[in-house]
Amino acid sequence: MTDALDPVTLALVQNRLDHISLQMGWVMTRTARSPIFSQSHDFSCFISDARGTLISQADGIPIHTGGGGFAVRAILRDFKDAIAPEDVFLLNDPYTAGGNHLPDWVIARPVFVAGKLVAFACNRAHQADIGGGAAGTYNSAATEIFHEGIRLPVLKLIEGGKTRADLWRLLLLNTRLPEALEGDLHAMIGSTRIGAERLVLLVEELGVERAGDFFEGVLAHADRRFQGCIDRLAEGVWCAEEAVDNDCFGPIDSRIAVALTVKDRRLIVDFAGTSPQIQGFKNSSVANSTSAVFMALASFFEPDLPKNEGAFRSVEIRLPEGTLVNARAPAPMTMNTVFVAHEIVHVMWKALGQALPERASAGWSKAVHSVTAGLRPDGGRYVMYQWAGAPAGGGVEGRDGFHLIGHLITLGGLTLPNLETYEQLYPARFKRQELRCDTAGPGRFRGGAGCDYEVEILTPADYAFRGEGVGAPSSFGSAGGRAGSSGEVILALADGKEIHAPKYGVVRHEPATYRALSPGGGGYGDPMTRDPTRVLRDVRDGIISAAAAERDYGVAIAANGRSIDMSRTTALRAPTSRS
Amino acid sequence: MSSPRLSSPWRIGVDVGGTFTDMVLRDSAGAVHIFKAPSVPADPSQGVLGVLRLAAQQLDLPLSALLRDCALFVHGSTVATNTILEKKGAKVGLLTTEGFRDSLEIRRGIRENQWDHRAPFPEVLVPRYLRQPVHGRIGADGKELAPLALEDVDAAARLFADEGVQSVAVCLFNSFLDGTHERSVGKRLAATPVGKWVSLSSEVMPTMGEYERGSTAVVNAYVAPTVTGYLRTLDEQLRQLGLPRSLLMLQSNGGAVPVDQIAERPVMLVLSGPAAGVGALKGCTDRPETANLISVEIGGTSCDVMVMAKGEVPVTDALVIDGYHLTTPSVEIHTVGAGGGTIAWVDAAGLLHVGPQGAGARPGPAAYGFGGEDPTVTDAQLVLGRLRPGPLAGGVTLDARLAREAIDTKLAKPLGLSVEEAAAGVVRLLEQNLLHAVERLSIERGHNPTAFTLVAAGGAGPMHGCVVANALGCQRALLPRRAGAYCAMGMLQSDVRQDYLKVFLADLDKVEPASLEQAFVELEARAGAFAIREREVDLRYEGQQWPVRVSFKGIDTAAARRTFEAEHQRLFGHIQPGGRIDITALRVVGRDPLDWTPPAARPGRSDKPKPRETRKVWLDPANGWRDVPIYAGADLTPGCVLDGPLLIEESTTTAFVGPHDRLEVDTRDDFLVHIGARS
Repeated sequence: MTDALDPVTLALVQNRLDHISLQMGWVMTRTARSPIFSQSHDFSCFISDARGTLISQADGIPIHTGGGGFAVRAILRDFKDAIAPEDVFLLNDPYTAGGNHLPDWVIARPVFVAGKLVAFACNRAHQADIGGGAAGTYNSAATEIFHEGIRLPVLKLIEGGKTRADLWRLLLLNTRLPEALEGDLHAMIGSTRIGAERLVLLVEELGVERAGDFFEGVLAHADRRFQGCIDRLAEGVWCAEEAVDNDCFGPIDSRIAVALTVKDRRLIVDFAGTSPQIQGFKNSSVANSTSAVFMALASFFEPDLPKNEGAFRSVEIRLPEGTLVNARAPAPMTMNTVFVAHEIVHVMWKALGQALPERASAGWSKAVHSVTAGLRPDGGRYVMYQWAGAPAGGGVEGRDGFHLIGHLITLGGLTLPNLETYEQLYPARFKRQELRCDTAGPGRFRGGAGCDYEVEILTPADYAFRGEGVGAPSSFGSAGGRAGSSGEVILALADGKEIHAPKYGVVRHEPATYRALSPGGGGYGDPMTRDPTRVLRDVRDGIISAAAAERDYGVAIAANGRSIDMSRTTALRAPTSRS
Repeated sequence: MSSPRLSSPWRIGVDVGGTFTDMVLRDSAGAVHIFKAPSVPADPSQGVLGVLRLAAQQLDLPLSALLRDCALFVHGSTVATNTILEKKGAKVGLLTTEGFRDSLEIRRGIRENQWDHRAPFPEVLVPRYLRQPVHGRIGADGKELAPLALEDVDAAARLFADEGVQSVAVCLFNSFLDGTHERSVGKRLAATPVGKWVSLSSEVMPTMGEYERGSTAVVNAYVAPTVTGYLRTLDEQLRQLGLPRSLLMLQSNGGAVPVDQIAERPVMLVLSGPAAGVGALKGCTDRPETANLISVEIGGTSCDVMVMAKGEVPVTDALVIDGYHLTTPSVEIHTVGAGGGTIAWVDAAGLLHVGPQGAGARPGPAAYGFGGEDPTVTDAQLVLGRLRPGPLAGGVTLDARLAREAIDTKLAKPLGLSVEEAAAGVVRLLEQNLLHAVERLSIERGHNPTAFTLVAAGGAGPMHGCVVANALGCQRALLPRRAGAYCAMGMLQSDVRQDYLKVFLADLDKVEPASLEQAFVELEARAGAFAIREREVDLRYEGQQWPVRVSFKGIDTAAARRTFEAEHQRLFGHIQPGGRIDITALRVVGRDPLDWTPPAARPGRSDKPKPRETRKVWLDPANGWRDVPIYAGADLTPGCVLDGPLLIEESTTTAFVGPHDRLEVDTRDDFLVHIGARS
C-alpha cells in the first residue's frame, strides 16, 4: 500500500500534520486564562488517526510525549459507533479513561469527512484546580485518588454541536477556580476546532480513501527513523534501577527497575522488579509511564525524531500491575508526571547509556523548591512558587550540565522567574540566587551547579515542601562521571532557630528566611580527562575549588590562581597516581 | 551610457548585508537609482565607500558632489549583529548587586529548542570571575535599603584593569525603579582605567527583570567599542568627503537616529537591516496609515515575516540574537530558514526535507559552481525553467547542468522520482514553509491573513509571492520591482524615531492622574527634540505575565481600558469585564516623520508589451509544464495589465505570476498581482 505513495505529498502531509498540532498550541497559548498554559506551557496538542494511533504531537511538554493515544483509544472503546460529527469528548481518569494524572484533562474532537471518521484533534492540559484535598491540584497528603480531585471517565461534553449544560455545571461546581477552568476549557475546545478544520481541508485534499494511507506512511517513516536509532544500540539486556526513598510520608526502600532488551531491531522495556505501589501520590499510570519511556527514548536520540506512535512501533513496554509504574486503583498519583517520571527517565537513560555510551546522559538532580502561600499586605492571597531555586542538569558528551534549570520532565522547558518581578508580586525580599561551589558532579563534561537561593518572606506564610532533591544525591554520573551534591532546605526563623525542611508536608511560620540549596547535576565521562583549561576556568569562576580541581580532576592550579601548574597536573594525571 | 540627470537634493540609503552592500538614491523629482557592490566584512565602511564610488562613477559625478547634495543619508548595518555572531566584541566586566551575579549565566533557563538538550547554551559573554558583586540595595519600592559600597566598585575596577577588561556593564537589582546607585557606580568607574566604555542597565533600557535588562546592558557593552568606533569613523569620513549632515542609523525599532545618539546605545542596532522593512512597507501603499500588509522578505537562506495591521507594525521589547536576550524596542519579525539557498535533503528513512540549513554565499547553490553539492531551492527553480541560466548580478553564473546533477544524485534517485518531479517537490515544500511561517505570526497575533495583501520581497520573494498568497487566501500579492534592494529602499522611507520608557506600577483605575501626568511630562521632556511625541502605556490584567501596549491620549484612563480590552480580545480571544488592569510601564515615542514623495511614476505605454522570449516552465502540480512568456521588467510600465502565467526578469529579482492570476503594474511601478483574477 504505502510503497506507492508520492514521496513529495508524503513530506507535505508530515509537515502539515505537525503544523496543525503546533497551530492548536498557539491558539491555546493565546486564548487560555490560567498562566499554567500561557507561561508554563503545561499542555500538549496532538492528532490521532481514526484508530486512536497518535500521528502528530509536534507541540507540548516532553512528559506528554506519545501518551495521547491511550485517551483516544478509551473514547473508541467506550463510545464505539456513538461517535458523531460535532461531538467533543472530555476525560481525565488515569485508571479508566487513558488519562495520565487527574489534573491533566483531555479534550478530543472527532474529525469527519464525507461522513467517515478520519482523525481526532486533541489536547491535554493541566487545570488550575479540580477540587480535591488541596488548592492547586497537588495534595501531598493524598492516600487515595479520591483525595486528588474529580475523576472523569470518557464523557461527551459536546453532543452534535450542543454543549451539555448539566455536565458543564458539574465541572464548574468541582473546582475552586471556576473562571479559570471555564476559560481554559473554552481555549482547549477552540483549539481543537481549529485543528479539526485544518484536518478536514487536508483530508479533502488527499481524498478520504487516500488520507489513511498517507497517515500510515507518516507512521511508517517514523518507525524507520527509530529503527535507525535502535541499530546504534548494542544488542543485549541492559538493566538499571533507581531508588525511591520516601512515600511522601516517611522513608521507604523502594525502587524503579528496568531491563532493556535490544534484539532483532526491537526494544523490550520491562519494569519487572519495580517496587509495589506506595501510599503517597507518586504512583504512575500506564499513560504516564509510557510517556516517560518515550520521552527518555526521544531525548536520548535526535531532537527532531517524529513525535508520533509510529516512532515507537518497535518498542514493547511491560508495566507490571500493582507497582510504582502501573498502580492499581485507588492509589493517588497526581505527582507522577514529575516523580516518579523523573526516576523512569533516569533508569531508561542509565540502561540506554550502557547500550550506547557515547550518547549517555548523566542524571539531572531533583527539585527542592517549595511553595509559599499567604496574605499580601493588602489582604489578597498569594501563592509563590520558589522555582528560582531550581536543580541542575547532567552532562553529556560535548556539553556540561545546565546550572539551575527547570524539571527534567520538561527537559528544562520551564522558564524561571525574574526575582525583581517576584518582589513586585509577593511580600518577599531576595538575598541571593548564586551558583554553589563544588556541587556539580565531576566529569569530562561536568554536571551543572546547584544554587544557593535565599529569600526573606516578610509576612506569615504556609510553606508546602516538595523536596525530592533533599538528602541523598539525586543525580547520577555516567561513563565514569559522578553524581552531583545533595540539596537542602532551611528555614531561619526570627528567633534564630533553623529548621531543616522535610521532603513533604505543610507548615506555617511567622516571617522567616527561606533558603534552598539545590543539588548539582551528574557528570559525564572520566573527570581526569577533562580539558585542563576548562577546569581552570571553573576554578576561576568559583564553580569548583582548587582543592576539588586537584582531587577530582587531577588539575593543579598555580599559586597566582590564573594558570595551570602543568608539571604537577601531569603528575596528578599519570596512571600511577590514579590507582 | 549617458548619465541620468539628477535633481538635487537627494536621499541615499545604504544597507550593508553579508554579501552585498546595496545603495538606493532617490532624487527630489522621485527618480530612483540602485547600486550594488560587494560587502567588505573585515571593514564594512569600505563596502559603503565602495558602493558610493560606484554610484558616483555610474552617475558621472564626483564623489564629493554626490555627498554634498545629499540631504539625508540613512544607513543600516549588520556591524552590531556580526560582532555578536562572530564573537568579536570587547572583553566585558559586569557589576551586579551582591547575590545576583549569576543571573546572566542562569538566563532563566531559556533554551530555544526544549528537546535539543544536548546543545549547550551560547557562551556567556562575561565569565563568572569578571562578574563582580557590589553591596548596596534598592528595595521593591525604589527606596534605598542598604547604601552603595563604592569600595566594592574600586576593587572590581582594579581587577578589571588587571584582567584587561575593555568595557564594563552595570546591572544593579531594582535599578529600573531608581538608577541612582548605578549612576554613582558609573561616575566612580569614569575615574578608573576601565571607565572609557560603561553601560548602565537603567540607561540602556530600564525594563523590569534583572536577567533581560542585565543581558541588554552586557550586549551593549560587548558591541560598543567596535560599533561606536566604526560609526564615528564612517561618519567622519563621509563628512570630510562632503556630506553636509551626520548620517542616520536605522535602529531595531524601525526608526532612524543620528549617529551621535546611537553611540551610547549601539545595542539598538541589532535589527538594523531587517527593521527597514517597516519603511519599505510604507512605500508599498498609497495609504500607509491604514494599510493591512504582510511581508515575506526572502533572501539567500532566511525569510523574515512582518505584519502591518492598520498601518502599524508592532514593536516589542523582546529580541533574541544568537541566543542572547535583549529588551530593546524592536520591530516584531518572525524568521524562518527558507530562501533561495535553502538546502533540500532526504533523511535516512527516506523523507524529503527542505531546510532549515542553507548553503550560504559560499559554496551557495550547486549551480553557482563554487563546489556546492547540496541541491538548493535556486537549483530547483533553474531545473523548472523559472530562472535563466547564465550570469547573475554580483558576478555569479548559474549552471543548469550542475543544478540537475545535484538534484538527481541527492534527491531524485533516493526518492525514485524524475529530476523535474524532485525539483517541483523542493519548491512545493519551500512554499509550504513560507505559508506556515505567515500562518504562525498571524495566528499568534490574532489576524486573519485573507484581509491582507502579501508583499513578497527580497531577491527570491517575487518568485513565491503568488503561490503563497493564494494558499493564504489573500486577494492580492505585491511584488516590488526593486525587491532585491527592498531594505535599502525602506531606509529612505523610515521616520526618525526614538523610544523612551519608564517602569510605572499602578492600578489603572486608582492611579493618581497628577503622578501619571508628571511621569509622562518627564518622558516627553527627554523626547523634546521630536516634532511628534506619542504616549503609550503597557497594561495587563492583574497576575498576567505579558503586557499589551496601547496608545494613551492625555491621561484618559477610561479610554485606555477600552483600547486595552479591544486589543486583548483580538490577541487572546477574551476579556475580563471590570477586571483589575495594572499599568506596568509608560512610554513616549518621539517621531520626526519623513516627508516623502512617492517615486515618480514612469509614463505608461499605449502598446501592449511583448515578451522577450518564451520558455518551457513548470507551473504547478495541476498544470505541469507550459510555454510561458518571459518579460523584461523595463518593458512593463504603470497601467500595464497582463494575464498569467508569466515571468518577469528584473535587475535584482525574477517574478512569477501564476496561471490563474492577473498582473497589474501599479502607479508606484510595482507588480500588483490579483490572485485568481485571470480573465
